[in-house]
Amino acid sequence: MRQKQKQLEYERLVLVYSDELFRYALWLCRDKSMAEDLVQESCLRAWKSLDKLRDTSSSKAWLMTILRNEHARQYVRYRPDMVDLDLDMLSLRDIDNDTSPDAFALKQALNELADEYKEPLLLQVIAGLSCEEIASVCGITKSATMTRLFRAKQKLRDVLRPEEGQVGN
Amino acid sequence: MKCEDFKFEYTVAPTETSVEANEHLVSCQQCQLFVEQEKQFEQKLNGVINTEVPSGLRHSLRENVLAQKLPFWSFPKASLAFAASVLIAVGIVAINPTQNQLSVLPVDQLVYEHFSHDGVSSTKASHQLSEQELIKVSKDFGVRVMLGDNISFAEKCPIGDSYGLHMVYQYHDQPVTVIYMPEVTLRATLPFQYAGLHGWVKPLKNGSIAVLGGSTIEIPAQEFADEVIEWL
Repeated sequence: MRQKQKQLEYERLVLVYSDELFRYALWLCRDKSMAEDLVQESCLRAWKSLDKLRDTSSSKAWLMTILRNEHARQYVRYRPDMVDLDLDMLSLRDIDNDTSPDAFALKQALNELADEYKEPLLLQVIAGLSCEEIASVCGITKSATMTRLFRAKQKLRDVLRPEEGQVGN
Repeated sequence: MKCEDFKFEYTVAPTETSVEANEHLVSCQQCQLFVEQEKQFEQKLNGVINTEVPSGLRHSLRENVLAQKLPFWSFPKASLAFAASVLIAVGIVAINPTQNQLSVLPVDQLVYEHFSHDGVSSTKASHQLSEQELIKVSKDFGVRVMLGDNISFAEKCPIGDSYGLHMVYQYHDQPVTVIYMPEVTLRATLPFQYAGLHGWVKPLKNGSIAVLGGSTIEIPAQEFADEVIEWL
């Protein structure tokens, strides 16, 4: 019975959060198949340590933390062989949904953001985490999270500003 | 509150603004304009960041875990593939894995397994079920079915390691499968998209209810769950 409950809990997590996990993984890896592998590995780790999840209301942040840690572990192993520029361009083509100039500029600006700014933003937009949850996932203070979110959005908004100015004229 | 403070707070987390910030917004036209612009920006950002997800991801996440913990999983998987092919080619499904194997399946696979057992034959029953028959079968579950006039099929069927009340409801002249599962509990409603079927599984006071149909069939909204049964 306990095994069945664990299975159902895992089911709930996978069904509800797998999309968010994949999107976050895709932005971290910048490659679809690597992102899928990362989500697979993270879910497997989540399954193995599901008994440790005491507070189910924090399960989304818990899963994101597992994925983030798993990415950091894999990054150490694989990342030095990769070329950033190629991956950036590949990801821009690969995940294209919106092909407008604004979207392209935003994607480029996002890719150019330093990880310390990009991560809190992705966790907020993709997973809908609160500032407090983002702080716990990233291992920083809440005020640092707020500052980083503000700066990240400010930088991205600046990218769109000239375009918006033209529209207004 | 100063406008600059409001703008900072709103930019950081639009959904977490304080009461003070909300009060400021009501009385400040400049900040109202700012909020409108920010909403457009957030929408663009959301569209760029939230990309499409591969359709088979959820399924492969389950398979991966099941493969890790169940070495005998290969048998039901083969059976599922067989069932799916027979379902498409002939429209008759012949599969009946043991209850022990079923009990560890994810909830949508449980539902699918059951649907593949008698889903096709059940949806073919176009006549309205008699009220007495419906009362008799639903009584076993301690419930009364509230959709009497539109139920064309109702049976007590094995699902997982317990039983479910399998019904077919004619919704907009299309057969929608409704399965009340008193012993399958859930914390939240789950979307259901599996093996050409779609719908949802929603927790109830006792157990849960699955509502599903083929990919082209319109499925009732989740509020429908509250209208299906009442407990005796």
